[in-house]
Amino acid sequence: MKLSLHRLIPEYLAGSVSDRASDIWNKNCSVASGASVFVQAPSGTGKTTFINLLYGMPIKYEGKVEWGDTDLKSVDDKQLSLMRANDISIVFQDLRLFPELTALENVAVKRELTDTVTQQQVVDWMKMLGLENRLDASAATLSYGEQQRVAIVRALVQPFRWLLMDEPFSHLDAGNRARAISLIADVVGQRKAGFILADLDDNNYFSYSQTLHM
Amino acid sequence: MGKATELLDKLLFRSSGRMRMRLAATVLCIGNGLLFLSVLAWWNFNTILNSDEGDSHSGAVYMMIAREVTEHNMGMSGGSSFTAGEVADIANAPEVMDAGALTPARFPVYATIGGRVAMATDLPLASVPDRFIDEIPEGWSWQPGQRNLPVIISSQFLNVYNYVFAPGQGLPQLSRTSVKSVGITLQVGGENGMHLSAHIAGFSDRVSSILVPHSFIAYGNKQMGIAAGTQEPSQLIVKVRDPSKPAFTEYLRQHGYTTNPQSLQWSKLRTVVASVAGVMGGIALLLVVISIMVILFFIELTITRGAASIALLQQIGYSRQFLKKYLIRRFVPTVIGSVSVALLVSCAAQVVVHNVAANQGMDLPLLPGWPVVGTYVACLSALVQIIRIAVNRTMKL
Repeated sequence: MKLSLHRLIPEYLAGSVSDRASDIWNKNCSVASGASVFVQAPSGTGKTTFINLLYGMPIKYEGKVEWGDTDLKSVDDKQLSLMRANDISIVFQDLRLFPELTALENVAVKRELTDTVTQQQVVDWMKMLGLENRLDASAATLSYGEQQRVAIVRALVQPFRWLLMDEPFSHLDAGNRARAISLIADVVGQRKAGFILADLDDNNYFSYSQTLHM
Repeated sequence: MGKATELLDKLLFRSSGRMRMRLAATVLCIGNGLLFLSVLAWWNFNTILNSDEGDSHSGAVYMMIAREVTEHNMGMSGGSSFTAGEVADIANAPEVMDAGALTPARFPVYATIGGRVAMATDLPLASVPDRFIDEIPEGWSWQPGQRNLPVIISSQFLNVYNYVFAPGQGLPQLSRTSVKSVGITLQVGGENGMHLSAHIAGFSDRVSSILVPHSFIAYGNKQMGIAAGTQEPSQLIVKVRDPSKPAFTEYLRQHGYTTNPQSLQWSKLRTVVASVAGVMGGIALLLVVISIMVILFFIELTITRGAASIALLQQIGYSRQFLKKYLIRRFVPTVIGSVSVALLVSCAAQVVVHNVAANQGMDLPLLPGWPVVGTYVACLSALVQIIRIAVNRTMKL
């Protein structure tokens, strides 16, 4: 599923886009299926807006986003839900866990949608990311770093062709980051999926096939 | 999806939400319970009022109707009698279920009773169609040549004898059984007529007269009847569904017919009771409307309070349709349970009413009939529809 961008301009950036040298805003750009894309975006350039926009969040914009042959503006609620459940997964910058649920339940609520991986697999992944003692802890009591790891596991428990990540390792120490990167690479590889990782600074977390500057 | 439902319950129906849901379900149960009970009361009254069983408890009232004797028609031959057309018209009058003529004997009958209760008197015999007789006694027939004649007397006559006549005359009081064994000699059609023996075969609460089989009256009127005068009946017996209905009383007034006003008053009482059932139904309906509003408020509150969770669920891939279905399925069983409990209460009430009615000699069904079941189905259908609309509407916000 190829991603095509056609002269995208978010409404709130409309006045300032022409002043910037961007590979994305107001440009035509395409990303091949299965690509590993890094979006380098200094603060305030619209990184989170871009990731959310690709995920079909309600953001006003000009231009066109196409996943395969589907214009994102033309999909209805039902199609969008299907895309989010089967084709596109995400690690939000602000993580968006359910504070009422435990760490394990936060992943389970996603896992139950498609039953792609087993509950044991989920537990194994969470243990791999150092969350073995926090499985039954309420998400509200987790540190930001723990929440970030839960959000990563949650993003991996569904089938997907694209994984969108917005500063996914911002609160992880080097050890946890390395384990998370390893897990993501494994699962993305198994799924034969592509990913788009947006972050502030240049990095070599993955071997990227394409880098776009915002 | 079982686990998903559990997790959604945890997100959207926390303990305070469950408490509110129980409260809403209780109010709905009370409202529907009262509604079912009022429908039950209305239905039971209707069952009694419309019963075709024909006994005195069934609600159908048997009344004697006569033409009012006025200055205008007094002394006129046939001035107070009913033509065949008038009888047919009365049979089709509002609330009238059946009408028949009370045919008087147009020949003299002289009765003699021997033994301890010795007396002799003229007897005004009459007949009515058998379907108007309270309970047809065994051997209720007469054919020409038959020497024994069965007689039904008004219960009031026995009361008058036992409590008024007998004490004053120093005569013994008589039970119904003993009266039936009293032998009566009848001289029919004057001195040159025939002699018959008669016995009291039964008693009537409906007809204040002395009844004999119609075949005897028909034979006597033909063979020994007075030729002069009309052969048309001057009194009718009618079976009326509800004599207190204005249409019936207005019919009587317009045609100048008279009847026993007490039976009208008794029926008015029944109308009052039916009205009370109606008022109770109105109040119950109000309660149901209030309980529906409570349910609606509860649904909106639940969805509004869970708006953030619902939005996030949609963001991670749950469809709006799935969440709507989940919410509807979550509310509907509670509503079904609540309304079903109300139905069970009304079933239990009907069993009690059935037993009480049976003790009073009335036959009411053991379980609620179609009006209550219909109300149950209608309430449930309406509530499920209201829940669907409320969930759809609130999920759009």
